Amino acid sequence: MLYHGIAALLLAQWVSLPLPNTPRTPDGKPNLAAPAPKMTDGKPDLTGIWRVSDGRYLQNIAADIGEAPFQPWAAALFKERAADLGKGRPSEHCIPHGIPDGMLVRNSPFKLVQTPNVLVVLYEEFNHYRQIFTDGRSLPPETNPSWFGYSIGKWDGDTFVAETVGFNDKSWLDDPGRPHTEELRVTERFRRLDFGRMEIQITFNDSKAFTKPWSATILFHLLPDTELIESICENERDRAHMVGK
Amino acid sequence: MPHLTIIGFLFLQWVNVALPNIPRTSDGKPNLNAPLPKTADGKPDLSGIWRNPDGRFLDNLAWNGIEVPFQPWAAALYKERQETLSKDRPSGRCLPHGVPDAMLVPATPFKLIQTQGVTLILFENQGRYRQVFTDGRDLPKEMQPTWLGYSVGRWEGDTFVVDTKGFNDQTWLDDGGHPHSDAYHAIERFHRRDFGHLDLEITIDDPKAYTRPWKVTVPFEFYADMELMESVCENERDTPHMIGK
Repeated sequence: MLYHGIAALLLAQWVSLPLPNTPRTPDGKPNLAAPAPKMTDGKPDLTGIWRVSDGRYLQNIAADIGEAPFQPWAAALFKERAADLGKGRPSEHCIPHGIPDGMLVRNSPFKLVQTPNVLVVLYEEFNHYRQIFTDGRSLPPETNPSWFGYSIGKWDGDTFVAETVGFNDKSWLDDPGRPHTEELRVTERFRRLDFGRMEIQITFNDSKAFTKPWSATILFHLLPDTELIESICENERDRAHMVGK
Repeated sequence: MPHLTIIGFLFLQWVNVALPNIPRTSDGKPNLNAPLPKTADGKPDLSGIWRNPDGRFLDNLAWNGIEVPFQPWAAALYKERQETLSKDRPSGRCLPHGVPDAMLVPATPFKLIQTQGVTLILFENQGRYRQVFTDGRDLPKEMQPTWLGYSVGRWEGDTFVVDTKGFNDQTWLDDGGHPHSDAYHAIERFHRRDFGHLDLEITIDDPKAYTRPWKVTVPFEFYADMELMESVCENERDTPHMIGK
Protein backbone atom coordinates (compact mmCIF):
# COMPACT_ATOMS: atom_id res chain seq x y z
CA MET A 1 0.00 0.00 0.00
CA LEU A 2 2.44 2.53 -1.27
CA TYR A 3 0.07 5.47 -1.04
CA HIS A 4 -0.08 5.22 2.72
CA GLY A 5 3.61 5.92 2.73
CA ILE A 6 3.04 9.02 0.61
CA ALA A 7 0.17 10.11 2.81
CA ALA A 8 2.43 9.77 5.85
CA LEU A 9 4.93 12.19 4.42
CA LEU A 10 2.18 14.67 3.63
CA LEU A 11 0.18 14.34 6.79
CA ALA A 12 2.50 13.48 9.67
CA GLN A 13 2.86 17.03 10.92
CA TRP A 14 0.84 16.99 14.08
CA VAL A 15 1.20 20.16 16.10
CA SER A 16 2.94 20.21 19.46
CA LEU A 17 0.43 21.43 21.99
CA PRO A 18 1.15 20.96 25.70
CA LEU A 19 -2.22 20.07 27.25
CA PRO A 20 -3.10 20.80 30.90
CA ASN A 21 -4.34 17.28 31.74
CA THR A 22 -1.26 15.40 30.56
CA PRO A 23 0.59 13.85 33.54
CA ARG A 24 4.31 14.59 33.41
CA THR A 25 7.57 13.15 34.60
CA PRO A 26 9.94 15.48 36.55
CA ASP A 27 11.61 16.52 33.29
CA GLY A 28 8.26 17.77 31.92
CA LYS A 29 7.72 14.99 29.40
CA PRO A 30 4.33 13.23 29.18
CA ASN A 31 4.21 10.35 31.66
CA LEU A 32 2.61 7.65 29.54
CA ALA A 33 2.94 5.07 32.33
CA ALA A 34 0.77 7.12 34.70
CA PRO A 35 -2.54 5.54 35.75
CA ALA A 36 -5.54 5.80 33.44
CA PRO A 37 -7.60 8.93 34.23
CA LYS A 38 -11.09 8.52 35.66
CA MET A 39 -14.42 10.24 35.12
CA THR A 40 -16.24 11.76 38.11
CA ASP A 41 -18.35 8.57 38.29
CA GLY A 42 -15.18 6.51 38.79
CA LYS A 43 -15.18 4.92 35.33
CA PRO A 44 -12.01 5.08 33.24
CA ASP A 45 -11.89 8.06 30.90
CA LEU A 46 -10.97 6.90 27.41
CA THR A 47 -10.68 10.48 26.12
CA GLY A 48 -7.55 11.14 24.11
CA ILE A 49 -5.92 10.84 20.71
CA TRP A 50 -5.06 7.24 19.89
CA ARG A 51 -2.99 5.57 17.23
CA VAL A 52 -2.77 1.90 16.41
CA SER A 53 0.60 0.57 17.50
CA ASP A 54 1.02 -1.98 14.71
CA GLY A 55 0.12 -1.30 11.09
CA ARG A 56 -0.23 -5.00 10.29
CA TYR A 57 -3.89 -5.13 11.34
CA LEU A 58 -4.88 -2.80 8.51
CA GLN A 59 -3.29 -5.34 6.17
CA ASN A 60 -4.76 -8.37 7.96
CA ILE A 61 -7.40 -7.86 10.63
CA ALA A 62 -7.18 -11.61 11.27
CA ALA A 63 -3.42 -11.47 11.94
CA ASP A 64 -3.87 -12.79 15.50
CA ILE A 65 -5.36 -16.05 14.24
CA GLY A 66 -3.75 -16.29 10.80
CA GLU A 67 -6.91 -16.09 8.72
CA ALA A 68 -10.58 -15.40 9.25
CA PRO A 69 -12.90 -18.44 9.36
CA PHE A 70 -14.50 -17.55 6.02
CA GLN A 71 -17.57 -19.09 4.51
CA PRO A 72 -16.60 -20.34 1.04
CA TRP A 73 -18.08 -17.38 -0.91
CA ALA A 74 -16.34 -14.93 1.43
CA ALA A 75 -13.01 -16.72 0.97
CA ALA A 76 -13.47 -16.53 -2.80
CA LEU A 77 -14.36 -12.81 -2.71
CA PHE A 78 -11.39 -12.06 -0.50
CA LYS A 79 -9.07 -13.97 -2.82
CA GLU A 80 -10.34 -11.96 -5.76
CA ARG A 81 -9.87 -8.61 -3.97
CA ALA A 82 -6.41 -9.56 -2.75
CA ALA A 83 -5.43 -10.63 -6.28
CA ASP A 84 -6.48 -7.15 -7.47
CA LEU A 85 -4.26 -5.58 -4.78
CA GLY A 86 -7.29 -4.16 -3.01
CA LYS A 87 -8.44 -2.17 -6.04
CA GLY A 88 -11.97 -0.88 -5.56
CA ARG A 89 -11.45 -0.42 -1.84
CA PRO A 90 -14.06 2.07 -0.58
CA SER A 91 -11.49 4.53 0.80
CA GLU A 92 -10.21 4.88 -2.76
CA HIS A 93 -13.45 6.75 -3.49
CA CYS A 94 -13.16 8.88 -0.34
CA ILE A 95 -15.68 6.61 1.34
CA PRO A 96 -14.84 5.86 4.96
CA HIS A 97 -12.83 3.03 6.30
CA GLY A 98 -15.34 1.16 8.44
CA ILE A 99 -15.31 -0.67 11.71
CA PRO A 100 -12.73 -1.53 12.79
CA ASP A 101 -10.37 -0.41 10.04
CA GLY A 102 -11.06 3.30 10.52
CA MET A 103 -9.08 2.94 13.74
CA LEU A 104 -6.27 0.96 12.15
CA VAL A 105 -4.76 3.54 9.81
CA ARG A 106 -1.43 4.42 11.39
CA ASN A 107 -1.11 7.75 9.59
CA SER A 108 -4.55 8.90 10.72
CA PRO A 109 -5.07 8.70 14.48
CA PHE A 110 -8.49 9.08 16.07
CA LYS A 111 -9.74 10.92 19.11
CA LEU A 112 -12.14 9.56 21.71
CA VAL A 113 -14.30 12.13 23.53
CA GLN A 114 -16.13 10.50 26.43
CA THR A 115 -19.25 12.14 27.86
CA PRO A 116 -21.96 10.69 30.13
CA ASN A 117 -24.32 10.14 27.19
CA VAL A 118 -22.10 9.29 24.26
CA LEU A 119 -18.58 8.23 23.40
CA VAL A 120 -17.62 10.05 20.21
CA VAL A 121 -14.95 8.73 17.86
CA LEU A 122 -13.43 11.52 15.75
CA TYR A 123 -11.40 10.11 12.89
CA GLU A 124 -8.67 12.29 11.50
CA GLU A 125 -9.14 10.44 8.26
CA PHE A 126 -11.70 12.17 6.03
CA ASN A 127 -12.97 14.18 9.04
CA HIS A 128 -15.62 11.56 9.81
CA TYR A 129 -17.08 10.66 13.19
CA ARG A 130 -18.91 7.85 14.89
CA GLN A 131 -21.17 7.95 17.97
CA ILE A 132 -21.46 5.17 20.60
CA PHE A 133 -24.55 5.96 22.66
CA THR A 134 -24.46 5.43 26.44
CA ASP A 135 -27.70 7.20 27.37
CA GLY A 136 -29.58 3.98 27.92
CA ARG A 137 -31.17 3.66 24.50
CA SER A 138 -31.37 0.23 22.89
CA LEU A 139 -30.24 -0.75 19.44
CA PRO A 140 -33.10 0.20 17.10
CA PRO A 141 -35.19 -2.76 15.88
CA GLU A 142 -34.62 -1.63 12.30
CA THR A 143 -31.71 0.38 10.98
CA ASN A 144 -30.85 1.74 7.59
CA PRO A 145 -27.70 -0.11 6.52
CA SER A 146 -24.79 2.29 6.99
CA TRP A 147 -21.01 2.43 6.79
CA PHE A 148 -20.43 2.88 10.53
CA GLY A 149 -23.52 1.06 11.81
CA TYR A 150 -25.42 1.99 14.97
CA SER A 151 -23.55 1.62 18.26
CA ILE A 152 -24.49 1.50 21.92
CA GLY A 153 -22.06 1.06 24.81
CA LYS A 154 -22.01 0.06 28.47
CA TRP A 155 -19.43 -0.56 31.16
CA ASP A 156 -18.41 -4.05 32.25
CA GLY A 157 -16.21 -3.21 35.25
CA ASP A 158 -13.38 -1.13 33.84
CA THR A 159 -14.02 -2.27 30.28
CA PHE A 160 -16.21 -0.27 27.89
CA VAL A 161 -18.21 -2.62 25.70
CA ALA A 162 -19.65 -1.31 22.41
CA GLU A 163 -22.14 -3.30 20.33
CA THR A 164 -22.68 -2.29 16.72
CA VAL A 165 -25.21 -3.51 14.15
CA GLY A 166 -26.83 -2.03 11.05
CA PHE A 167 -23.86 -2.20 8.70
CA ASN A 168 -24.13 -2.14 4.95
CA ASP A 169 -22.15 -4.88 3.19
CA LYS A 170 -19.90 -2.47 1.32
CA SER A 171 -17.23 -1.63 3.89
CA TRP A 172 -14.18 -3.88 4.08
CA LEU A 173 -12.79 -5.13 7.39
CA ASP A 174 -9.26 -4.28 6.26
CA ASP A 175 -7.47 -2.86 3.23
CA PRO A 176 -6.92 -6.12 1.30
CA GLY A 177 -10.68 -6.68 1.50
CA ARG A 178 -11.83 -9.18 4.11
CA PRO A 179 -15.59 -8.96 3.53
CA HIS A 180 -18.66 -9.04 5.74
CA THR A 181 -22.43 -8.97 5.22
CA GLU A 182 -25.25 -6.87 6.63
CA GLU A 183 -25.55 -9.50 9.37
CA LEU A 184 -22.30 -8.30 10.92
CA ARG A 185 -22.40 -7.58 14.64
CA VAL A 186 -19.22 -6.12 16.12
CA THR A 187 -18.42 -6.20 19.83
CA GLU A 188 -15.59 -3.92 20.87
CA ARG A 189 -14.11 -4.12 24.37
CA PHE A 190 -12.08 -0.97 25.15
CA ARG A 191 -9.67 -1.21 28.08
CA ARG A 192 -7.36 1.69 28.97
CA LEU A 193 -4.31 0.01 30.47
CA ASP A 194 -2.66 3.22 31.70
CA PHE A 195 -2.40 6.83 30.57
CA GLY A 196 -0.56 5.93 27.40
CA ARG A 197 -2.00 2.59 26.28
CA MET A 198 -5.40 1.18 25.34
CA GLU A 199 -6.33 -2.27 24.16
CA ILE A 200 -9.42 -3.04 22.10
CA GLN A 201 -10.66 -6.59 21.63
CA ILE A 202 -12.85 -6.71 18.54
CA THR A 203 -15.17 -9.67 17.94
CA PHE A 204 -16.83 -10.26 14.57
CA ASN A 205 -20.11 -12.11 14.54
CA ASP A 206 -21.45 -12.65 11.02
CA SER A 207 -22.70 -16.16 10.34
CA LYS A 208 -23.26 -15.41 6.65
CA ALA A 209 -19.60 -14.53 6.12
CA PHE A 210 -17.86 -16.58 8.81
CA THR A 211 -18.28 -20.11 10.15
CA LYS A 212 -17.85 -18.87 13.75
CA PRO A 213 -17.26 -15.64 15.68
CA TRP A 214 -13.63 -14.54 15.85
CA SER A 215 -11.60 -11.79 17.47
CA ALA A 216 -8.61 -9.52 17.18
CA THR A 217 -6.92 -7.83 20.17
CA ILE A 218 -5.19 -4.62 19.17
CA LEU A 219 -2.99 -2.20 21.11
CA PHE A 220 -3.19 1.58 20.72
CA HIS A 221 -0.85 4.28 22.00
CA LEU A 222 -1.86 7.74 23.15
CA LEU A 223 -0.48 10.65 21.13
CA PRO A 224 0.06 13.22 23.91
CA ASP A 225 0.13 17.00 23.60
CA THR A 226 -1.15 17.21 20.06
CA GLU A 227 -4.32 17.66 18.04
CA LEU A 228 -5.95 15.98 15.06
CA ILE A 229 -5.37 17.71 11.78
CA GLU A 230 -8.04 18.09 9.15
CA SER A 231 -7.79 15.49 6.41
CA ILE A 232 -10.41 15.89 3.71
CA CYS A 233 -10.32 13.31 0.95
CA GLU A 234 -10.49 15.08 -2.38
CA ASN A 235 -11.52 12.46 -4.82
CA GLU A 236 -10.03 13.78 -7.98
CA ARG A 237 -6.65 14.32 -6.43
CA ASP A 238 -6.25 11.24 -4.33
CA ARG A 239 -7.26 8.67 -6.86
CA ALA A 240 -4.06 9.22 -8.76
CA HIS A 241 -2.14 7.95 -5.73
CA MET A 242 -3.97 4.64 -5.65
CA VAL A 243 -2.21 1.37 -6.25
CA GLY A 244 -3.93 -1.52 -7.96
CA LYS A 245 -4.20 -3.36 -11.22
CA MET B 1 -31.86 24.89 -5.53
CA PRO B 2 -34.23 22.11 -6.57
CA HIS B 3 -31.67 19.36 -5.87
CA LEU B 4 -31.86 20.10 -2.16
CA THR B 5 -35.48 19.12 -2.23
CA ILE B 6 -34.57 15.79 -3.79
CA ILE B 7 -31.94 15.06 -1.17
CA GLY B 8 -34.43 16.10 1.48
CA PHE B 9 -36.86 13.42 0.45
CA LEU B 10 -34.16 10.78 0.42
CA PHE B 11 -32.80 11.60 3.85
CA LEU B 12 -35.81 12.59 5.90
CA GLN B 13 -36.04 9.30 7.76
CA TRP B 14 -34.52 10.09 11.12
CA VAL B 15 -34.99 7.40 13.71
CA ASN B 16 -37.29 8.29 16.54
CA VAL B 17 -35.74 7.66 19.94
CA ALA B 18 -37.46 8.87 23.10
CA LEU B 19 -34.57 10.41 25.03
CA PRO B 20 -34.51 10.73 28.82
CA ASN B 21 -33.39 14.35 29.20
CA ILE B 22 -36.18 16.01 27.22
CA PRO B 23 -38.68 18.12 29.22
CA ARG B 24 -42.24 17.20 28.28
CA THR B 25 -45.67 18.76 28.35
CA SER B 26 -48.50 16.94 30.11
CA ASP B 27 -49.36 15.09 26.88
CA GLY B 28 -45.82 13.67 26.67
CA LYS B 29 -44.62 15.84 23.80
CA PRO B 30 -41.25 17.61 24.02
CA ASN B 31 -41.67 21.00 25.69
CA LEU B 32 -39.59 23.25 23.50
CA ASN B 33 -40.45 26.30 25.59
CA ALA B 34 -39.02 24.82 28.81
CA PRO B 35 -36.04 26.58 30.39
CA LEU B 36 -32.66 25.87 28.89
CA PRO B 37 -30.57 23.18 30.57
CA LYS B 38 -27.33 24.10 32.35
CA THR B 39 -24.05 22.30 32.83
CA ALA B 40 -22.61 21.64 36.30
CA ASP B 41 -20.71 24.94 36.21
CA GLY B 42 -23.91 26.91 35.63
CA LYS B 43 -23.33 27.68 31.96
CA PRO B 44 -26.06 27.02 29.40
CA ASP B 45 -25.76 23.54 27.91
CA LEU B 46 -25.96 23.83 24.14
CA SER B 47 -25.97 20.05 23.63
CA GLY B 48 -28.63 18.74 21.32
CA ILE B 49 -29.61 18.31 17.70
CA TRP B 50 -30.33 21.60 15.94
CA ARG B 51 -31.76 22.54 12.58
CA ASN B 52 -32.61 25.62 10.62
CA PRO B 53 -35.67 24.60 8.62
CA ASP B 54 -35.51 27.71 6.47
CA GLY B 55 -33.46 27.04 3.34
CA ARG B 56 -33.24 30.73 2.55
CA PHE B 57 -30.07 31.17 4.64
CA LEU B 58 -28.42 28.33 2.78
CA ASP B 59 -29.34 29.84 -0.59
CA ASN B 60 -28.30 33.34 0.43
CA LEU B 61 -26.85 34.15 3.84
CA ALA B 62 -27.92 37.76 3.32
CA TRP B 63 -31.45 36.97 2.05
CA ASN B 64 -33.17 39.25 4.54
CA GLY B 65 -31.83 42.42 3.03
CA ILE B 66 -28.41 42.78 4.64
CA GLU B 67 -26.10 44.83 2.51
CA VAL B 68 -23.04 42.74 1.78
CA PRO B 69 -19.94 44.99 1.62
CA PHE B 70 -18.12 43.15 -1.18
CA GLN B 71 -14.64 43.98 -2.33
CA PRO B 72 -14.84 44.32 -6.15
CA TRP B 73 -13.27 40.92 -6.95
CA ALA B 74 -15.59 39.20 -4.47
CA ALA B 75 -18.63 40.89 -6.02
CA ALA B 76 -17.54 39.71 -9.45
CA LEU B 77 -16.96 36.15 -8.26
CA TYR B 78 -20.34 36.06 -6.52
CA LYS B 79 -22.03 37.30 -9.70
CA GLU B 80 -20.31 34.60 -11.73
CA ARG B 81 -21.36 31.88 -9.30
CA GLN B 82 -24.93 33.16 -9.40
CA GLU B 83 -24.94 33.16 -13.20
CA THR B 84 -23.68 29.60 -13.38
CA LEU B 85 -26.24 28.41 -10.81
CA SER B 86 -23.50 27.50 -8.35
CA LYS B 87 -22.38 24.54 -10.42
CA ASP B 88 -18.87 24.59 -8.92
CA ARG B 89 -20.07 24.46 -5.36
CA PRO B 90 -17.67 22.24 -3.33
CA SER B 91 -20.44 20.04 -1.95
CA GLY B 92 -21.21 19.06 -5.55
CA ARG B 93 -17.98 17.08 -5.41
CA CYS B 94 -18.49 15.74 -1.88
CA LEU B 95 -16.21 18.42 -0.49
CA PRO B 96 -17.31 20.05 2.75
CA HIS B 97 -19.79 22.78 3.33
CA GLY B 98 -17.95 25.35 5.42
CA VAL B 99 -18.61 27.80 8.22
CA PRO B 100 -21.43 28.68 8.57
CA ASP B 101 -23.19 26.89 5.71
CA ALA B 102 -22.66 23.34 7.02
CA MET B 103 -25.12 24.33 9.77
CA LEU B 104 -27.63 25.79 7.33
CA VAL B 105 -28.64 22.72 5.31
CA PRO B 106 -32.27 22.09 6.27
CA ALA B 107 -32.19 18.44 5.21
CA THR B 108 -29.26 17.62 7.50
CA PRO B 109 -29.32 18.84 11.11
CA PHE B 110 -26.26 19.03 13.34
CA LYS B 111 -25.55 18.00 16.91
CA LEU B 112 -23.74 20.04 19.54
CA ILE B 113 -21.99 18.07 22.30
CA GLN B 114 -20.66 20.37 25.01
CA THR B 115 -17.94 19.00 27.27
CA GLN B 116 -15.50 20.73 29.58
CA GLY B 117 -12.55 20.83 27.21
CA VAL B 118 -14.21 20.87 23.82
CA THR B 119 -17.58 21.45 22.18
CA LEU B 120 -18.15 19.15 19.23
CA ILE B 121 -20.26 20.03 16.23
CA LEU B 122 -21.29 16.83 14.47
CA PHE B 123 -22.76 17.50 11.05
CA GLU B 124 -25.15 15.00 9.58
CA ASN B 125 -24.17 16.48 6.24
CA GLN B 126 -21.31 14.38 4.82
CA GLY B 127 -20.74 12.96 8.32
CA ARG B 128 -18.14 15.57 9.23
CA TYR B 129 -17.27 17.36 12.47
CA ARG B 130 -15.76 20.51 13.96
CA GLN B 131 -14.03 20.83 17.33
CA VAL B 132 -14.30 24.07 19.32
CA PHE B 133 -11.60 23.95 21.97
CA THR B 134 -12.38 25.34 25.42
CA ASP B 135 -9.38 23.93 27.30
CA GLY B 136 -7.61 27.26 27.40
CA ARG B 137 -5.48 26.84 24.29
CA ASP B 138 -5.07 29.82 21.96
CA LEU B 139 -5.44 29.80 18.21
CA PRO B 140 -2.14 28.51 16.82
CA LYS B 141 0.18 31.19 15.44
CA GLU B 142 0.62 29.31 12.21
CA MET B 143 -2.08 27.15 10.72
CA GLN B 144 -2.35 24.95 7.67
CA PRO B 145 -5.34 26.28 5.74
CA THR B 146 -8.30 23.94 6.21
CA TRP B 147 -11.91 23.63 5.10
CA LEU B 148 -13.39 24.04 8.57
CA GLY B 149 -10.69 26.12 10.25
CA TYR B 150 -9.37 25.99 13.81
CA SER B 151 -11.79 27.08 16.53
CA VAL B 152 -11.54 28.17 20.16
CA GLY B 153 -14.52 29.09 22.31
CA ARG B 154 -15.21 31.08 25.46
CA TRP B 155 -18.24 32.23 27.44
CA GLU B 156 -19.39 35.81 27.56
CA GLY B 157 -22.18 35.63 30.13
CA ASP B 158 -24.68 33.17 28.67
CA THR B 159 -23.32 33.43 25.13
CA PHE B 160 -20.78 30.96 23.74
CA VAL B 161 -18.38 32.88 21.51
CA VAL B 162 -16.35 30.95 18.95
CA ASP B 163 -13.40 32.38 17.04
CA THR B 164 -12.31 30.48 13.94
CA LYS B 165 -9.36 31.19 11.67
CA GLY B 166 -7.07 29.14 9.47
CA PHE B 167 -9.51 28.64 6.62
CA ASN B 168 -8.57 27.84 3.06
CA ASP B 169 -10.33 29.96 0.44
CA GLN B 170 -12.29 27.10 -1.08
CA THR B 171 -15.48 26.90 0.96
CA TRP B 172 -18.44 29.09 0.15
CA LEU B 173 -20.36 30.93 2.86
CA ASP B 174 -23.62 29.69 1.34
CA ASP B 175 -24.80 27.72 -1.65
CA GLY B 176 -25.35 30.94 -3.55
CA GLY B 177 -21.61 31.44 -3.50
CA HIS B 178 -20.69 34.32 -1.18
CA PRO B 179 -16.92 33.88 -1.20
CA HIS B 180 -14.26 34.33 1.42
CA SER B 181 -10.48 34.45 1.39
CA ASP B 182 -7.88 32.78 3.57
CA ALA B 183 -8.04 35.89 5.79
CA TYR B 184 -11.55 34.86 6.87
CA HIS B 185 -12.15 35.14 10.61
CA ALA B 186 -15.54 33.79 11.69
CA ILE B 187 -16.98 34.97 14.99
CA GLU B 188 -19.94 32.86 16.05
CA ARG B 189 -22.07 33.79 19.06
CA PHE B 190 -24.34 30.91 20.16
CA HIS B 191 -27.20 31.88 22.43
CA ARG B 192 -29.68 29.23 23.60
CA ARG B 193 -32.88 31.09 24.40
CA ASP B 194 -34.80 28.19 25.94
CA PHE B 195 -34.94 24.43 25.59
CA GLY B 196 -36.04 24.50 21.98
CA HIS B 197 -34.43 27.59 20.45
CA LEU B 198 -30.86 28.60 19.69
CA ASP B 199 -29.72 31.76 17.92
CA LEU B 200 -26.42 32.01 16.11
CA GLU B 201 -25.06 35.42 15.28
CA ILE B 202 -22.21 35.02 12.82
CA THR B 203 -19.84 37.81 11.91
CA ILE B 204 -17.91 37.54 8.65
CA ASP B 205 -14.62 39.37 9.20
CA ASP B 206 -12.57 39.08 6.03
CA PRO B 207 -10.93 42.33 4.90
CA LYS B 208 -9.64 40.74 1.69
CA ALA B 209 -13.18 39.86 0.52
CA TYR B 210 -15.33 42.46 2.29
CA THR B 211 -14.74 46.14 3.02
CA ARG B 212 -16.00 45.74 6.61
CA PRO B 213 -17.25 42.93 8.86
CA TRP B 214 -20.90 41.98 8.38
CA LYS B 215 -23.16 39.75 10.39
CA VAL B 216 -26.26 37.60 10.20
CA THR B 217 -28.41 36.00 12.90
CA VAL B 218 -29.74 32.52 12.14
CA PRO B 219 -32.34 30.87 14.38
CA PHE B 220 -32.23 27.11 15.02
CA GLU B 221 -34.86 24.77 16.42
CA PHE B 222 -34.17 21.80 18.67
CA TYR B 223 -34.80 18.45 17.07
CA ALA B 224 -36.21 16.40 19.93
CA ASP B 225 -36.24 12.61 20.23
CA MET B 226 -34.21 12.12 17.08
CA GLU B 227 -30.75 10.97 16.17
CA LEU B 228 -28.49 12.04 13.34
CA MET B 229 -28.46 9.71 10.41
CA GLU B 230 -25.36 8.67 8.56
CA SER B 231 -24.99 10.67 5.38
CA VAL B 232 -21.82 9.71 3.57
CA CYS B 233 -21.40 11.58 0.31
CA GLU B 234 -20.67 9.13 -2.48
CA ASN B 235 -19.18 11.11 -5.26
CA GLU B 236 -20.07 9.12 -8.31
CA ARG B 237 -23.68 8.82 -7.32
CA ASP B 238 -24.36 12.32 -6.18
CA THR B 239 -22.83 14.23 -9.03
CA PRO B 240 -25.66 13.45 -11.50
CA HIS B 241 -28.11 15.03 -9.08
CA MET B 242 -26.38 18.37 -9.26
CA ILE B 243 -27.91 21.21 -11.16
CA GLY B 244 -25.96 23.87 -12.99
CA LYS B 245 -25.05 25.15 -16.40
